[in-house]
Parts: sequence; C-alpha cells; structure tokens
Amino acid sequence: MTGTTTLAKDFTIKELLATFVSRQVRDGERVAVGAGLHVPRAGILLAHLTRCPNVRLYVVMTFTNLTKEPRMEPFYTVYDYRPAKWAEGYIIHDDFQEDPRIVSDTFVVGGLQIDKFGNSNLIGVGKDYKHLDFRGPGAVGTLSMAHYVDRYYLFVQSHDKRILVDKCDFISTVGWGQGGSDGRKKLGIPGNGPVYCMTPLCIMDFDETTKHMRLKSVHPGVTVQQVVDNTGFALIIPKDVPVTEGPTEEELRTLRERIDIEGMLRK
Amino acid sequence: MLPERKSLVLDEHAAADWIRDGMTIAIGGFINSSHPMALVRQIIRRGIKNLTVVGAASGGLDLDLLIAAGCVKRLVTTYMGGEHYCPVAPFFRIAAQRGELDIFECDEGMFYCALRAAAQRLPSTPWKAGIGTSFPEINPEIKQYNDPVSGEPMLAIPAIKPDLAIIYAAHSDAFGNVQHVGTGFGDRAMWRAADKTIAQVERVIPNEEVRKNPLATSLVGVDAVVRAPYGSHPFAAPGYYIEDGEHIREYVDAGNAYAKKGDRGPIEAYLEKYILKPKTHEEYLETIGIRRLVALHEY
Repeated sequence: MTGTTTLAKDFTIKELLATFVSRQVRDGERVAVGAGLHVPRAGILLAHLTRCPNVRLYVVMTFTNLTKEPRMEPFYTVYDYRPAKWAEGYIIHDDFQEDPRIVSDTFVVGGLQIDKFGNSNLIGVGKDYKHLDFRGPGAVGTLSMAHYVDRYYLFVQSHDKRILVDKCDFISTVGWGQGGSDGRKKLGIPGNGPVYCMTPLCIMDFDETTKHMRLKSVHPGVTVQQVVDNTGFALIIPKDVPVTEGPTEEELRTLRERIDIEGMLRK
Repeated sequence: MLPERKSLVLDEHAAADWIRDGMTIAIGGFINSSHPMALVRQIIRRGIKNLTVVGAASGGLDLDLLIAAGCVKRLVTTYMGGEHYCPVAPFFRIAAQRGELDIFECDEGMFYCALRAAAQRLPSTPWKAGIGTSFPEINPEIKQYNDPVSGEPMLAIPAIKPDLAIIYAAHSDAFGNVQHVGTGFGDRAMWRAADKTIAQVERVIPNEEVRKNPLATSLVGVDAVVRAPYGSHPFAAPGYYIEDGEHIREYVDAGNAYAKKGDRGPIEAYLEKYILKPKTHEEYLETIGIRRLVALHEY
C-alpha cells in the first residue's frame, strides 16, 4: 500500500469487498477484469493502481496497463469497444483454447448456487434438466477458466440459503468436488481451486483438510449468527471470527476518485 | 480474354436465399455486439424454421429473438443473456424450462473445441475442463474417455459443423477479404468450421484499402458480402456505434411480459413493428429513425 495506511472510517460493504478483492491480486500476474460485476472489477483496478503496476490487465478482449490513466471511464460490458483505446494488444476469443493461461492467472466465478465444497452452478435450478424450475444463463467460460487459472474466487451479490446450498443441483464449475485437499487432484484438475467465497455478509475460506467452507471474517455490523441463519449448509465456525478489514484512506480515495467515478459501489 | 475477378457482393434478399429450413447456422458476434442483424431479421421475415443455431461463444438476445420468432430447434451456445440489460434471455429461459428447446450445453472452451473439430474434419477434439461437472450427464453427446497415452480421464467434444456462418464485420472488399474493427470475437472459429460464410459489413471498401493493411484482414475469403450500414443495430459495432440500450430494454420488456405473465402481445407487436412490416434493412432503419441511430456514437 502506498502513502497512508490509516484505515478509513466511512465506507460501504461494496467498497470493503472491492478492497478485499484488491488484496488478492499479485503484482506481475495476468488478471481478467470482468465487466458485469462492479465489485471485483473495482477491486482488481484498485490493486493495479495502488500496489501492482506490473499486472497485465485483460479488459474487454484487450490487454492493457492503466497505471497512467488518471480515471477510469466506466465500462459495464465485456464487449464495450470504448476501453479498447487503452489496448496494448488484442485477445482473439478462440485463442483461449490454444493457451488458456494467456488470459488470466486468476478469476472470479458467480453462481445461481454454490455448495459447501465451492462447486458452483450457472446452468439452472431444479431436479430435472429438461424441466428446470429456473433456467440460468449458462456456464459462459467459467468452467474452462476455473480449470486452468492458478486460483479463483467465488462471489455472490446476496447471501442466502437458496444460493449457498448443501449440494448444487448441477455443477458447472468444480471447486473442491466431493471435498478433501485432494478433491481436485482426484479428478485430474490443475490449479489451486477456489480460495475464498465473498458475500455481502462475510468472507469464507475452505478448511485445509476437508475443503469444507469455513467462516473467515464477518463484515462490520454483521453477526456470526446472521451468517449461519442465511447459509444453507453447516458452515465451519472457528473460535475467533475477526471483522473483515476495510480500506485505508488512500485505497478509498483511489476507489472513489479514479475507479468508481460514477459511485456504483456507493449505491 | 480473362474475365474480371468476380464480386461477391449480394443484397440481403439474395444472401437470405442461402438460408433454408433445418440448416445449421453459426451467428457471429458476442453478447450485445457485432451480430449480423439485417440477415437475422431476414430469417425471421421468411419464417425459416427448425434451425440449429450455433453461438456466438457467448450468445445473446440475437439468438433469443430467433427463439421468440419460432425459428430455432436446437441451440449451441454457452451463455444466453444480455449482461446488465437482462441476466437470462427471456424466451430462451421459458423454452428451456418447458423442454421445448434442444440445447447443446457447453462452455466457451467446449464450444471452440466443437468448431475446431469441424474445421479439422475430426469427429471430436479432447478437452479436459469439465471433468467432475454435470456437463457429460446433461449433454450426452460429450463423452468421457481415458486418454490412450496417459490414461487420464478426458472429454471428447463432438464436431459441430455449420452449413453456413453469418458474421458481422466493419469492412470487406468486394472479393470477401474481411477486416474487423476490434478483435472479431470468435468469428474466425466459425468461418473455419463452416462450409460457407456470409459477411454482413458496415462498409464495402476498395481492394486497394485492404492491400494497405493486409495484417488487418481477419477472414481471408468469405463466400458472400452483404453491405448493411447500422446492420448490427440494436447491438454495438466496434468503431461505429454502441448498442441501443433503449431498444434492447424494449425487447427485454416484451420478453419479460411473456416470461413472467405468459403474455405474447408485446413480442408480437415488436416483431410486427420492427421485423415483419419493414421489408428491407433500409425500412427497418427508417422505423428506428435517424435521430436514434446517430445518437449511438462511441465517443
């Protein structure tokens, strides 16, 4: 972190989550910046502007570096051509198949359902695939990306029992499979899998041995009981549950003045 | 005497004659960008049925419109939505929930495997991502097998061969040398896999312009070229215009009336106003109106 490390006092949960995302980025990596989810997008850009000048950003089908960009004009879609003015190079979408690692070292995956072992579902909810109760949008590229990246992060915009379930109706992206630290290895899947699951209430990680989801921290003002009551499986609760650390004043200023200039994270 | 090199430029009607009931058609672009909508609207106007529609890798409301109009039997894509306009495409969602749509469930990696196998005239190509997921169960055409070299489990993704790819690009010369502005998304993969490709373009440019920058030629030789300015509307066209959010919302509202209330009135009105009544791309643009179109600039 550059400059002041004084923690900010007034921030939103979305700004807190963006800060948490930013602290997962490592300098020198390739990092895909999704467009649709404001929080991860802002978090990755925050890491880039404060700590990781050598990150190779993948933005709307281009590679770029934005450290000299005074402020980010908004982009909300993965096809928006306007940010291509920043491009150092293009990604031809089907090149992904030639070498998936050119795209990103890390990734953010959402889900209609996420289960206790971090498996996720974008296909649909229901028992019969031919007659789903709710048909989802489909896997997009999440399955292949999550397979090839070094590690990934789960992110949901609401924390409730319909999303955080004991078992997904369908699995579109494998987290830790049936559990266990060899849960991925047994399936022959590379990479370090899902690391954290981020929600508006808390951060969860995975028990080292069972790879069962475990509470890591609760956001300011949230109780452990609130998390338990809204989770559809028995979450591992450690003895001490800290409060998720918020942004420093410097981070918050960078977020508000250079990245989130429209205030999407403050709404 | 040697005859002149042949122009491949067709009008939208002659190009649409290439599309027939029951064909496998790949449609280029990506979510809310770069779809050959003048040709898509011709498909609907002509009442073409029982299509297998391939893509794009991440499809969008262009495919949903074809489902709404009753043109699609089978769908090959990884995503059906409109990002912040619409999380799940409405007509797709209902047709899928009712089991009315035959879906080749896949993700982007698998999608390109299927096209690559077709391009290479192979029955399938291997892919690793997807082991441990529901894909081999819900898509029985994807087969799990053990790799004969290492013994490890793999997935065979079957070839999907489009009879025809229709793609949108900024420019082509009259001889089918296509130059995209932007990346061209997965259009190359469709062009390589398909028997024939029609490029619908914003401008037909002189061959001399192509020769100024041959590195920009993204598809070297499509089979036909259709000139249709503003032809990706209501979707975006890199270098020319952004998507028409207001129009997309009008479509999504019509879709939601059906998905949430079972009311097909608004989509029937949409189809009548924007597709069936205008007989040509020019009449469509007149319906949209010049003020709306020129307001869609990128900068």
